Amino acid sequence: MSLCLNRLQEERKQWRRDHPFGFVAKPMRTQQATLDLKRWECAIPGKTGTLWADGLFKLELIFPDEYPTKPPKCKFTPPLFHPNVYPSGTVCLSILNEEEAWRPAITIKQILLGIQDLLNDPNPESPAQAEAYNLYKKDRPAYERRVKQVVKDNPKM
Amino acid sequence: MESGSQAADPISEARTLVTELYSPANQRQPARINEIQACLQDLQRGEYAWQIADALLTGPTTHHRFMGALTFTVKVNVSSQEVDQSMCAQVLRRLITHCVELVAQAEQAMVIRKLASSLVTLFRHSTCHVERVLWQVAASLAHGGYVDEHQARTVDFGGTLLPTLDTQSVMALLFLSVALAETTSRLDDEPVDLSGPALKRAMTNTRDGFLLVQYVLGRMSEMGAGVLDDQVRQNLASEAMGSWKAWLGVTSSRSLPEGENIHALAISCGHTVIQTLRLPGLNEIAASTLTSVIDRRRPAFDDASMWSLSQILADSIVTSHLNSLAEGDETPESMAFVDLLVAFLSHLQLKLFDEPISPEHAKILVLAHGILKAPGYAVIDDPATPRILEFWNEIAERLLDEVDSNGSKWQTIKTHLAQVVLGLFNKLLYPEAEDQAEWSDDERSEFSAFRHDVCDYLLSAYPILGVELVSVFQESATNCLQVGDWRGFEAAMFCLARLSEAVDENGHADQCLDAIFGSDAFSRLSAGGADDVPLKARQTLVDAFGKYESYFERRKPLLPGILNVLFESLNFESCAQAASRSFLTLSKSCSRALTAELPVFLDQLDHFRTKPTATSSTMPKVLEGIAAIVQKLDSDEEKVQNLERILTFFVQEANRAREEAANSGQEFACLHGHLILSCIASIGRGLRSDADEVINIDSTAEQRNDDDHRSSFWSSGPGSHAQQLIMEAMRLLIVDFPVDNNMIDAACDILKAGYTESSGLFVFPPSLTVDFIQSFPLGISGTDVIMGTASSFLASHSSHSMRIRDEAIALMRHVAQLFVSMLDQPELYDPETANACIDFYTRLVPKYYALLFSLTDPLPALPSDSAYQTSPAFAIPLHFALHALTRAEALPLRSAAAFWVTLIDLRGTSSEEIIALDQVLNQFVSPLSQNLVHQISGQCARSDLAYLGDVLRRLLFKKQGLARPAIHHALAALESRNANDSGSSSSLPSAQEKSRFLESLIVARSARQQFIEIVRTFWLKCRGMSYDYAR
Repeated sequence: MSLCLNRLQEERKQWRRDHPFGFVAKPMRTQQATLDLKRWECAIPGKTGTLWADGLFKLELIFPDEYPTKPPKCKFTPPLFHPNVYPSGTVCLSILNEEEAWRPAITIKQILLGIQDLLNDPNPESPAQAEAYNLYKKDRPAYERRVKQVVKDNPKM
Repeated sequence: MESGSQAADPISEARTLVTELYSPANQRQPARINEIQACLQDLQRGEYAWQIADALLTGPTTHHRFMGALTFTVKVNVSSQEVDQSMCAQVLRRLITHCVELVAQAEQAMVIRKLASSLVTLFRHSTCHVERVLWQVAASLAHGGYVDEHQARTVDFGGTLLPTLDTQSVMALLFLSVALAETTSRLDDEPVDLSGPALKRAMTNTRDGFLLVQYVLGRMSEMGAGVLDDQVRQNLASEAMGSWKAWLGVTSSRSLPEGENIHALAISCGHTVIQTLRLPGLNEIAASTLTSVIDRRRPAFDDASMWSLSQILADSIVTSHLNSLAEGDETPESMAFVDLLVAFLSHLQLKLFDEPISPEHAKILVLAHGILKAPGYAVIDDPATPRILEFWNEIAERLLDEVDSNGSKWQTIKTHLAQVVLGLFNKLLYPEAEDQAEWSDDERSEFSAFRHDVCDYLLSAYPILGVELVSVFQESATNCLQVGDWRGFEAAMFCLARLSEAVDENGHADQCLDAIFGSDAFSRLSAGGADDVPLKARQTLVDAFGKYESYFERRKPLLPGILNVLFESLNFESCAQAASRSFLTLSKSCSRALTAELPVFLDQLDHFRTKPTATSSTMPKVLEGIAAIVQKLDSDEEKVQNLERILTFFVQEANRAREEAANSGQEFACLHGHLILSCIASIGRGLRSDADEVINIDSTAEQRNDDDHRSSFWSSGPGSHAQQLIMEAMRLLIVDFPVDNNMIDAACDILKAGYTESSGLFVFPPSLTVDFIQSFPLGISGTDVIMGTASSFLASHSSHSMRIRDEAIALMRHVAQLFVSMLDQPELYDPETANACIDFYTRLVPKYYALLFSLTDPLPALPSDSAYQTSPAFAIPLHFALHALTRAEALPLRSAAAFWVTLIDLRGTSSEEIIALDQVLNQFVSPLSQNLVHQISGQCARSDLAYLGDVLRRLLFKKQGLARPAIHHALAALESRNANDSGSSSSLPSAQEKSRFLESLIVARSARQQFIEIVRTFWLKCRGMSYDYAR
């Protein structure tokens, strides 16, 4: 088995053994219902005590063949209203950037926790979508209202 | 410090401080405690620390003696440089002596542990010469005073020394052993030059560590219960097993001298721990120790030990614990055995696939099934089931890859997997209301997550169990429905909904689904007999409908009944979301089959829209579904009739919202307005032609006539009234209505709904879009959505752009006006508008460049003091995009870069056009180069470099003749700029480096990655942050 698949098997085991409460991460299934270890469906709960608290946000992790040398692509499905999420849904976060802070030792758990932190703590230096970024910068109450609606549309299980 | 006492010397002061630190009077004064601690720490680090440590260790209370032991650790750490070989030997002697004396006085564990920890701290020190510290301390304890290492090693450790030690001494030695092993494991994280020698010496103790474990556990087994006090016995066993675990941590990742012997010793200890599972009072500790060791995959077992572990697990002692759990009698012991069972099964799993299952293993698997019978709700009252589920899930996932589906092994495991499914069913039942009322939110979430984990298991098991799996739940659903067992019905439907992923499209389970949805009981339910269905069951049921859209497409006669249930369910708050979602899914996928039901649905819609559950989350979905059905009506006349009925209502509502804005407050009015516009937009989405009904570009004259006819039907014929209703609703909610971001979004959705259509209700006159866009002032929030709509509008007409020539020019001029306002009055500069408007131009340039560059006249009606009064209108966006490149805001900067890339890449279709485009571009090469160089010389953010680099690369690729000298000058100007700015140009590259940089760029202009890398290195160099790019 390739290094990539070995590592993903191990990640799966580690996740089963111990994962943060309310988070979901599992490989997707192919049409034949077998597991596709290189595509994971995940869900991140909003952090307690934040605007995002009551939401559960779905995203896909897509692992390249070169994983863990290269980072996975993390994509909210559907795309999420957030300053650091591209209109395609792809998350813009330094630990997911090969040229910035990605390290092969970063686990799926750390990635998802990192994204959870990002939800309520956007990085205005790195805007990825105009809509959320502009509202965040220009009209914080309207931004917060919009986030509340996003949370309402993505309730916890 | 004023301690409150008049301490004469540091030793007395330390004593007093410790007394005060633990004085009950001070416990509620954190500031005082901090003050005392700070003073004490000063003394512990000071020149009298060694004496203070000695003195405190002979102090009157445990607290004094504990602080004495701690002082040794503190002092060794802070005075590391002063501790030479002789001092180290001296301190070691004192520590061991104190240890022996205190153990003899039956000192409390906390003091002995701290002494052990101080001993290990000293042992790590580079000047420490001792190797077998466990041996030395054991000998000292046996002797009753300090014994040096050389002497100690003349007596056999395991065979002679250990048996002479009393219980207190053995416990003290175990404390030291655990501290030493744990510290040794951590040494790996430290620099090798510092930790290497200590690590080497520490490892020589591994054998002694395991011998001690072996001795203690062996004695426990021999003595049996009753010889020692129960608590003492448990403490010894717990410490011994902890010591085994800690030394396994040391050995697992290193090769040791005498590795094989030590490994055998570790396994022998493991064997003894396994046997301890049979000892009452110690079995819980043994089980949790073994679980942890198995989970961490420590090399601690051989085949014989795994065999004896399987025997014990299958043995009556363990079985009785697990059985008691199945009867609801959960104890710490029984849970420890469940954990061990799961850990063992996970280990066993590796062999389950390739060896025949032994009788013991078969018994253990039976036990694993038995756990699923434990009473109580999974997770909440029954923590064992989720753990067992994890094991079975892993088996199901790996079976396909590991076992031949024709072999007997496959059949055996398949049977187990099926048995698990049956075992889990009761665990899925949703809690009774009174039980759930006592749960916390977290408990509810955890139970819900467990149900999803079960479904995950079902999906893993489906490829192995096939449709049989679906039939299990179908039978439950049918039987429960028959007798009105709603909890059972809900659980079965919940599973079936999740299994849709595997069976909906392929139709494998159609017969099973027929048995449910075709049953008499279900017919009664869908014909209005669903009143007594509890909300949870209803919610799950309506969710399940939406998951089987392909099945219902194949079983169209069932649809009216199903949609009936969905409409009824819209009235219940907890079901409305799922019901509207499923309604949309089914009415879209089966729209043609539902046209006859339209009158009923419209009546139901009239009823629903007055309910509190008709919100912006539910109502638009229902309307989109209904519109999808309307779209399938045969004639436009029929469509218009139904649509007018719906739209008239929304115009009335828009009037109400306007009144609300005037009377009861803007926020409420905006919410109402948003709901109305969202609903209208969703009708537009529902009416869109199917993606598979492709618009034929090469249409015949007859088809074109038909299209024209249809178009005039909606714009000026019988359909125009319906279109007027939409425009009226929009006018009411946009003109002189509070500006609201969400409403802008929804209004734009209405406009966009018709852009992809050739004719229809939502294909509005082009002027509507232009008027809408022009109606908003500069700088409002939502400009990006508005300009996105403008771009979509132009894109939708790009194949026949001349038909909307006037509208396109009006939009271009409007946006250029906004640019001029921001250029003339910098205080009006709004990054959102800047970004959205540049983006608008970027998108229009490829298709509308001819129209754009025909705007050679200046913009009309500019203020007399405008700097752009004489600029041709087409040049304004270029000036603005140039300006945006000088600013720091990321989004306009990036969109300006994209604009320039598009413009430079633009190629005319005729030689005249090519020349004209060149002439325009040539005027901007110099300022563009200057702005780009300014930014990449360390001004812009690192993340913007790729965008700016792309423009620079295109410029050098397409316009090298002009760009090369322009960039050269811009680079030269950089030096004087920096020298002027800061009086220093130290971080700037030299003239030679700049010239090399430019040459490198020219060489790399056709290799993007390389080009960007050169730009990045230059940027770093300018920021003075990294290496020289040229070396």
